Amino acid sequence: MLEVKNLHKSFGTNEVLKGIDFQIDKGEVVAIIGPSGSGKTTLLRCISFLEKVDAGEITFGELHHDMAHITQREIRRIRFDMAFVFQSFNLFRNMTALGNVMEGLVTARKVHREDARKTALEMLRKVGMEDRAMYYPDQLSGGQQQRVAIARAIAQNPQVILFDEPTSALDPELTEEVLDVMRTLAKEGTTMAVVTHEMRFAMDVASRVVFMEGGVVVEEGPSKRVFLEPKEERTRQFLRRAYDAE
Amino acid sequence: MSERIIEILVSSFTQILIPGIKVTIPLTLASFALSFLLGMVLAIVQVANIRGLKWFARFYIWVFRGTPLLVQLFIIFFGLPRLGIILDAFPAAVLAFGMNLGAYNAEVFRSAIVAIPQGQTEAAQMIGLNYPQTLVRVVLPQAFPIAFPSLFNNLISLLKDTSLASSITVIELFTTAQQIAARTYEPFALYCEAAVIYLAFSTLLTWLQTWLEKKLVWKTKEKYLVAEEQA
Repeated sequence: MLEVKNLHKSFGTNEVLKGIDFQIDKGEVVAIIGPSGSGKTTLLRCISFLEKVDAGEITFGELHHDMAHITQREIRRIRFDMAFVFQSFNLFRNMTALGNVMEGLVTARKVHREDARKTALEMLRKVGMEDRAMYYPDQLSGGQQQRVAIARAIAQNPQVILFDEPTSALDPELTEEVLDVMRTLAKEGTTMAVVTHEMRFAMDVASRVVFMEGGVVVEEGPSKRVFLEPKEERTRQFLRRAYDAE
Repeated sequence: MSERIIEILVSSFTQILIPGIKVTIPLTLASFALSFLLGMVLAIVQVANIRGLKWFARFYIWVFRGTPLLVQLFIIFFGLPRLGIILDAFPAAVLAFGMNLGAYNAEVFRSAIVAIPQGQTEAAQMIGLNYPQTLVRVVLPQAFPIAFPSLFNNLISLLKDTSLASSITVIELFTTAQQIAARTYEPFALYCEAAVIYLAFSTLLTWLQTWLEKKLVWKTKEKYLVAEEQA
């Protein structure tokens, strides 16, 4: 459903993505793992055009584009069916939780206010934040903010949701409430690509795992297989260290 | 203090106060409104990176911040008629003050907009907002409270700078004080009286600022709710 090919991205002279191929099918949950600086986050940001790509192609549903020469209009069309959950939540600080979830519906999608409100409340209920609907982001804990951010993402009814280290900015005790919401979404068949350091979550929830290092995909496959019988020595080393850390 | 001076001060008080209310304050508010709009536009074309306009904005700010306000006032009132543009004193003053302060307000708005984290814009774009929508719905509402104290600071400066309009024949607070001082030969008393009236006006503005700043904090009400709930 979503496929990028031969993706290249440099920051100055530092080549962060060295020809990545990545794809995700409908209903799949793909975990992207790897050490810091391996390009995982940059990959997600390139797919969503938050970073300008040097070279690459994207196929998304019916749409096909050269990623380096894409117009702002085409980017908006792609984003219409794509949602992004940020490491730092990025809730609009001038709006309540409810306002955050309604904003895209009302302003971008021209949904009637009352309908948008209903949808937004439903989404907040889904992430267990309905009783905090009228709270502003800085009155919520990190975990609560991230759940609202997830509600904002699913309210757009996207084809795919990209999660960029959604629990990395959270205290350990707040991580589970966010992962629980994501597990629920996965069970419902939501298509998700998740950059994560939560190995247990990746193993349990992801259908497929992509291991990246140094701007290339080192290994990928069904999550059980990658976690239990990694083929590459680098994957094995990384997983051993990750387990030790946990 | 002699009885004569007290008499002059009392009789001149309303004579100075009335042009203060009728001219100085409208002049201040009209000029500020112009500088606010101009500053907003000059800031947005810079952050939106609109080629040509961005260059124009930098040039404009360079010129208007780099030359004296009094000289700008003279160019507009005494100079422009040479080019066939003849303005009355009051609109000329509004134009000069507005265009001058616009350059300063542009920098205030620009720095406030730049202070909004990139993540806010990215989140807005990912839920489908275009650039103007992102500005209006997300960036400017957050930038305005940041800009507010500096804008108000500029407003208070402007109130006092409007006394320069006396030099282009606008009959405002200070012009009136000058006229009475010339007539009575009591410059010390009259100019001190004018200063006191300016001080009263700017004190009112300072109170207004404090009051508005409280109103501007968008989460105040809910903060109390949470505090109550936790208590």
